[in-house]
Amino acid sequence: MTEDRPRPSRAARLYRRLLRLYPAEFRRAYARELSLVFEDCWRDAASLRQRLGFGLRAMTGVLTEAPKAQKEELDVLRHDIRHAFRYMRKEAATTIAIVALLALGMGSATLIFSFANGLFLRPLPYPDADRLVAVDEYSPTDPHEFGDMSAPNYADVRAGTHLLADIGLYTAGTVTLRGDAPAERVRAGQVTDGVFRVLGVAPVLGHTFTPLEDVAGAPRVAIIGEDLWRSRYGGDPNILGRTLDTGNAVYRIVGVMPASFTFPDRSDVWFPRRLDLANETRTDYNSEVIGRLAPGATVKTATDEVGALLTAIHHAHPDADNGWHARVRPLRDVLTADYRAVVTMLLIAVGLLLFIACTNVSNLLLAKASGRVREMAVRRALGATRSRLVRQLVVESLVLAMAGGSLGVLLAYVGVPALLGLVPVDLPAWMNFAVDGRVLIFAGAVSLVTSLVFGVAPSLGASSGDLTPVLRDGDRAGSHGGGHRLWRNGLVIAEVAISVLLLIGAGLMLRSFVAIRTQVLGYDPAQVLSLVVDYPEKRYPSGAPARALLRELSSRLSSLPGVTSVAFGTGIPLQDGWSRIFTIEGRPVPLEKMPFVNHVVVSPGYFRTLGIPLVRGRDFSDADYQVPHVIVVAQAFAAKYWPGENPIGKRVRFGPPAANGVWHEIVGVVGDTRHGHITGEENPTVYLPYGAYNGEVVPNAVIIKTTADPAALARDARERITAFDSTLAVTAVRSLGEVIDRATWRDRLVAWLVGGFALMALGLAAAGLYGVLAYTVSLQTREIGIRMALGASAGAMRQLLMRRGLALTGIGLGIGLAVAFALVRLLASFLYRVSPTDVLTFTIVPAILLAVGLVASAWPARQATRVDPLVALRHD
Amino acid sequence: MRSPALSRDRLHILIAVADRERHGYAILQDVRDRTDGQVLLSPSTLYSAIKRLLDEGLIEELDERPDPDHDDERRRYYRITKAGRHAVAEEARRLQQLLADARATGLLSKRA
Repeated sequence: MTEDRPRPSRAARLYRRLLRLYPAEFRRAYARELSLVFEDCWRDAASLRQRLGFGLRAMTGVLTEAPKAQKEELDVLRHDIRHAFRYMRKEAATTIAIVALLALGMGSATLIFSFANGLFLRPLPYPDADRLVAVDEYSPTDPHEFGDMSAPNYADVRAGTHLLADIGLYTAGTVTLRGDAPAERVRAGQVTDGVFRVLGVAPVLGHTFTPLEDVAGAPRVAIIGEDLWRSRYGGDPNILGRTLDTGNAVYRIVGVMPASFTFPDRSDVWFPRRLDLANETRTDYNSEVIGRLAPGATVKTATDEVGALLTAIHHAHPDADNGWHARVRPLRDVLTADYRAVVTMLLIAVGLLLFIACTNVSNLLLAKASGRVREMAVRRALGATRSRLVRQLVVESLVLAMAGGSLGVLLAYVGVPALLGLVPVDLPAWMNFAVDGRVLIFAGAVSLVTSLVFGVAPSLGASSGDLTPVLRDGDRAGSHGGGHRLWRNGLVIAEVAISVLLLIGAGLMLRSFVAIRTQVLGYDPAQVLSLVVDYPEKRYPSGAPARALLRELSSRLSSLPGVTSVAFGTGIPLQDGWSRIFTIEGRPVPLEKMPFVNHVVVSPGYFRTLGIPLVRGRDFSDADYQVPHVIVVAQAFAAKYWPGENPIGKRVRFGPPAANGVWHEIVGVVGDTRHGHITGEENPTVYLPYGAYNGEVVPNAVIIKTTADPAALARDARERITAFDSTLAVTAVRSLGEVIDRATWRDRLVAWLVGGFALMALGLAAAGLYGVLAYTVSLQTREIGIRMALGASAGAMRQLLMRRGLALTGIGLGIGLAVAFALVRLLASFLYRVSPTDVLTFTIVPAILLAVGLVASAWPARQATRVDPLVALRHD
Repeated sequence: MRSPALSRDRLHILIAVADRERHGYAILQDVRDRTDGQVLLSPSTLYSAIKRLLDEGLIEELDERPDPDHDDERRRYYRITKAGRHAVAEEARRLQQLLADARATGLLSKRA
């Protein structure tokens, strides 16, 4: 371009605008030339009349020619698609193989993407959900301590914040509904009025809580969910004003929430969380807080503000200063924190698998492409341009990819519910993994990209190059090209390397899962049934009446056939996370340094029922349940605080120093158990006899040891309890084996998925290796025949081919191992008691790969040397 | 092998790029001058035809370069191919035959 060229005239600019009527491709090719010619003609027109005549001609020219070009474009596309289908019909076997490979790769990718979509992309079911935040306090020194807030701190933050438009406090729990209908345990949320405002969801009937209903002493009210309204109250239109009876108290129903609203998690009932600030402890981190960012506020500025508020609170209440900080995080990040890393890893795994599938497709197409070089050469000789041929091949790849992609979406559509069926726990209700528009767009985009990856390289190969030798020599000239062979070998090496990566990952995951499942739990889960009994505290108040109930239930359950022992505890192992801070007598520590213990309240026979060994001292005796203040501690607890000393007779107390709790004397030491969770660091455990703990908590988890299958006992146990008193609700009836399954489902699912992907990758790599060798053999049949006719032995030929196959495997293996070795550290956070460089995994995987490589090369090698030299020499 | 009949415009363009290579505007001028302004192609008609002729391999595109007689804007030059010459010759024969037939039937004076 020159600067002195005059600015285009108004007519030229209009003309240029008119050119937009042309299809994009034509415009790219000719728009500039057209404008240039227009400007030349316009300038050179001698008279106004000539100029007008030319202008009119040019404009009508565009108006008549552009639609023709558009139609041509469509015709070409239609023709290409028709041609693609014709070709696919002709090559049915190849087409099926390609579409199946793509469906496998894209199905896996779409499946995992559906999960990523449900977790990270699909909006939470609240208006403007991206402005929702969770507010919590956390220990800057101990990454395990975070997540909750105390009610007094919440009240002060609520009073001081400007950057949170609204804020609410809640706890999730369960409640048993009694009264007219049978006792029914449902999930319940205790929420302040702010929670509904923050979430912005309106009730279908009545109203949500008002600030007046949140204060202590206000009338008892409740809100129910639409589902419960229909199931328990028959959808009564006059539900407002009716009552809800928990056996402990009666609540007036003031609202019905839509079925889609189940916050915090699958809740059917909501009660006001009353703030009784005079009686709440500032160090009792027992509630969760959500808020909505004010306009203009960001997570960062809100964190700064809430942080400053907490610092001020700690200044005003030094006895509650535990050194914790406050933070504001997007609600979605908090809800999905546990899934982010694992889903990212799975996405990478399916990405690699998809790449292998594409590689195989590419190899298949390359093999076909060399056969098609002749077809392409003929068409070029007949005048087809190179771009026209490439386009034809690209359309073919696209049609194949779309077919594979559609099947892939179908696979995901079927696979999502199937995989969810393997999840033994209730996932949060907001998680929706249905195939939606976003998933379809993803699948479409992946189809497009894969078709470019696997389709374009062969297209360029098939349509380029010197045509003469191809026309003269036929197929072999095109396929012997060094470029093609190099590309094909490269692809196989990549496939082997990637399957090594996936297999190493899968091997480590599997080893980790086995480590989780075979670790010493500290108790014997075999033939143990667990369940939770919920009893109305009004009828069985804490103390003698509740203890009498436990004794009664215990004797009724003990008389069931096969039952050898029954005990109660505050939690079933792996489902209990009640930790408390404590002080050892004579070793005072400031509040912020106080450690946590698992705090388990049990009935007599607890250790015997679970098979937890007594190491030192004595078990609880019946007398301990009358005369409180003795405890039994786990070995790790004793070893940590009294190393090399006898802990019996030492005393500890629970709660913050200001609470001035009673001292408890250690009377026994038992073996360590996995109590709170199945992996990760765990606080040591202390056991208190029910009766020693003078709070309201009653051990309502029942464990039953039997001599038979615990599942067979489930119904009888439930009946024994409800027959005694129909206001007792029995839930969570599971064998301890099931409890462990539920605690490990994620590790199991991930191990299975990664293992499945790795096996597919291995199969594909083997097929790829076999394919390339078999193809090489088919191309060299003549050469092999000549060599054998000249006296080369079949064994030598076989060795030659085997060497080539093993060389490809070896190089791929080497690269894969090197990359795996560099990357495995990233997997460390997923692994439990397995080193990322686990020797066993790094030994077995190469052995498997070599064995597969041997088999995949041996077969074509055998085929080749069975060739009759005479037939081979005639082979073209 | 027989080529399909060439339209009037296409034939004119082929003839324009037969003796030397020309860019788009030069082709338009050449056609206009040869036909005494009887055949005036619009730029759109010209490039639709050029595209088709290129697709069929009857002309070929040369490197872009400025036209020294015009200005220093870079332009695309086109030149007839062997196949193009062949097609023109065949079309000319066809026209000749047409002319001969017309004369033979007396529709056209033998001297015209």
